[in-house]
Amino acid sequence: MIRPLLSLGFLTFVAVVLALGLGSVTVPLPEIWQVMQGEGSALNRALLLDLRLPRTLAALATGGLLAVAGALMQVLLRNPLADPYVLGLSGGAAVGALLAMLAGMGTILISGSAFAGAMLATLLVFGLAHGTGSWTPSRLLLTGVVVAAGWGAVITLMLAITPSYKLPGMLYWLMGDVSYARAPWPALAVLVLSVVLIMPLARNLNVLARGPLQAAALGVSVRPLEWTIYLLASLLTATAVTTAGSIGFVGLIVPHMLRLVLGNDQRIILPASALAGGTLLVLADTLARTVIAPEQLPVGVITALLGVPTFLYLLHRSR
Amino acid sequence: MSRLRSRDLVINVPGRSDGYSLNLTIEPGQTWGVLGPNGAGKTTLLHTLAGLLPARRGEVVLDDTPLKDLKRRDIARQMGLVFQERQDSFPATVMETALIGRHPWLSPWVSEQCEDQTLAEQALEALDVEHLSDRLLTTLSGGERQRVAIATLMTQNPGIWLLDEPTNHLDLHHQVKVMNLLQAQARSGKAVFMCLHDLNLAARWCSHVLLLYTNGDACWGPADSMLVPSALEKLYNQKLITVEADGAPIFVPVRPGPTP
Amino acid sequence: MSIHRLGVRVALGFLLVVVVQSLSAGEVQRCAVDDMGKELCIPAPAHRIVTLSPGATELMFAAGAGDKVVAVVNYSDYPPEALKLPLVGSHTRVDMEALLALRPDLVITWVTGNPPAQMELIDELGIPAFAIEPRTFEGVSSVIERLATLAGTEHEGLAEAERFRVGIAALSEQYRNAEPIPVFYQVWEQPLMTINNDHLIGKVLQLCGGVNVFGDMPRLVPRISSEVVLQADPHAILTGSVEGVSDGQLDMWKQYSELTAVKKNNLFFVPASPISRPTPRLLEATRIVCDYLDSARER
Repeated sequence: MIRPLLSLGFLTFVAVVLALGLGSVTVPLPEIWQVMQGEGSALNRALLLDLRLPRTLAALATGGLLAVAGALMQVLLRNPLADPYVLGLSGGAAVGALLAMLAGMGTILISGSAFAGAMLATLLVFGLAHGTGSWTPSRLLLTGVVVAAGWGAVITLMLAITPSYKLPGMLYWLMGDVSYARAPWPALAVLVLSVVLIMPLARNLNVLARGPLQAAALGVSVRPLEWTIYLLASLLTATAVTTAGSIGFVGLIVPHMLRLVLGNDQRIILPASALAGGTLLVLADTLARTVIAPEQLPVGVITALLGVPTFLYLLHRSR
Repeated sequence: MSRLRSRDLVINVPGRSDGYSLNLTIEPGQTWGVLGPNGAGKTTLLHTLAGLLPARRGEVVLDDTPLKDLKRRDIARQMGLVFQERQDSFPATVMETALIGRHPWLSPWVSEQCEDQTLAEQALEALDVEHLSDRLLTTLSGGERQRVAIATLMTQNPGIWLLDEPTNHLDLHHQVKVMNLLQAQARSGKAVFMCLHDLNLAARWCSHVLLLYTNGDACWGPADSMLVPSALEKLYNQKLITVEADGAPIFVPVRPGPTP
Repeated sequence: MSIHRLGVRVALGFLLVVVVQSLSAGEVQRCAVDDMGKELCIPAPAHRIVTLSPGATELMFAAGAGDKVVAVVNYSDYPPEALKLPLVGSHTRVDMEALLALRPDLVITWVTGNPPAQMELIDELGIPAFAIEPRTFEGVSSVIERLATLAGTEHEGLAEAERFRVGIAALSEQYRNAEPIPVFYQVWEQPLMTINNDHLIGKVLQLCGGVNVFGDMPRLVPRISSEVVLQADPHAILTGSVEGVSDGQLDMWKQYSELTAVKKNNLFFVPASPISRPTPRLLEATRIVCDYLDSARER
């Protein structure tokens, strides 16, 4: 059980080293080592410590957060197509953040507003899907998709009435990017804490994946568990969105790929999602900033280009 | 050793008047069969007894505590349920499925140990599915999956076994095997309570029978006092012929046709 | 005295104060206030400059400091020498590593064109940054002067700023009493967008005696429907295009033969980057617009 996690951990390490080594400016490994020891030239130090390290860690945290959020949502809805992006959580967070930008608020308030948006989206989707009492996964998924479309319309409306001078900041943010992410530590902390705290619940999630009745018959308090997952997934999504804007499909593809390889034991899938999601985004971001350098691609474009075909393939195969 | 009782229980079948309230006592050692036509509420009764559905009136008592005062985890240690319908949104192997039965016995931080593995292996073996233990559930036949579900309950090893149509999809050999296994479990001190649609399985293996009518009426008692043609004909609205073989009654429907 | 003259006095006086202050401090320090109101002081004339908008590149060359620009962003196509300079990405996505590795001693940012997060990062990296965005004719001259101050090219810079100032003043004088003519400026065809009087293009129209039919709209770049254009019935319709030749962008109006601008064949194309960038080339663009409006009046 530990072995796949160790292998993934090693992969993550390799990806981070690669991300630190690759860029518009090549820094050879020995010099990276020097910088890590507190030496090295001022330029290399600035390149690695001020640019690449925060950016790489932000990508690592964001990818992990989104993948774990996706894995949780999928168990909750017993549907491998669930994902914070598809369910409108990202949309709610984006609307919150854009509102704050429109009001000219600072970075911290933008984060807070994005978080409030994700929570509102959560309550909206859960509340509406709950409705008259029946609360089936398909109903929840459908509610989420419709609410997500609603957020999309609100975003378009906001962009249309936004003074043009505020547009670059907002568009940049909507596309999802870690280029200017400065403070990856809160996101990393949220990720690590969430995974540690969810681990005792992981076997409950395994049981929940068999359906709520079976789970209840095996001693799981289903409704509180479902709320816990949904709130936690919202927290993870909101943290990811405030770190790097709106990045899609990581939450969809990573848990799915892992299930194909490792099976569906959440005790492995959840930490593995954190590692693999982080690794994927670190690699995608490395690609985004080097593939047509000095032109920079938003990392959201790379993940969407990977995610859309995967999503369609899943849909195609599931019917 | 657990005992399950229902006190003035009226199950909640939508659109049906209250009917007769149930005062059942399911004791260790007993094997109950619930008989009734489609839509009589057999599954609803089973889910209500398991605490998965709210009762319309009355309550279910496990030993001396009302079910609603117990934690789900404590209930699951004493009572398990094999469902008629099963969800599998995610692929899982047979072994993983059986091990799920250990869930109520393990604390959150502990993962399955050797003895849990052994219990699961024994259960799979008892149901002739141990050779499938690495296969994905989705690749199995209906009968094989039914046996895996019963093996999961056996791995859970509660005092009270609730089963919804445990012989569904099973071939004759495995029907007999499963019924023998359930009877053996009852003899070892479990209480077994199952919905059946085969009168003759009930007649052959059940010590007690509950007849559930579409209008909500019910009667229950020792099998031999309940399994009388008049009551069964009324239950199913079907004329029956009774024959006796190997010491147990066998009920055969009368074939409609030209009267001699 | 025209308003522009007054602006010159104020700007020159300001510059003088700044320079005197820095001399009295006993250092060869150069200071200037950027368009966000922030004062930047650098110890010596900047000689490794990176410009993060095409307009900033053009202004830097106009300030006489083209040879000190070491990198630019995408679409920095004027003057042609700028095309040979290395790129550090686009104005919305700057390759920070490439920027840092160039060790610039001055980065010219674009107040509303660069994402705020990007400008914050440049600040955090400790790279001297100067944010510009001229919104008036005088702003163009003033920014050239300030850039020249920072780059130590006051000789060419002040002359170019003055050339622009005088040129605009002369046009302004020439068209002071020109017959007002209702004009519609089309920024984009689909969706249909225009500018209000606060926009620099709106100011160009006003200078030439044009009356922007949407001048009073609250938004700088309003999105409008074609119906309100028909209702306003402009006598001339202008738009920007590459090289200032027709690219079909105004063809949609030809179906409305009752429009005065169509009836009189007053559909005009202005070279796009001179009219839309706040740089000295705006003077040429303004001349073209004024000529167009002249011919529109004659028809």
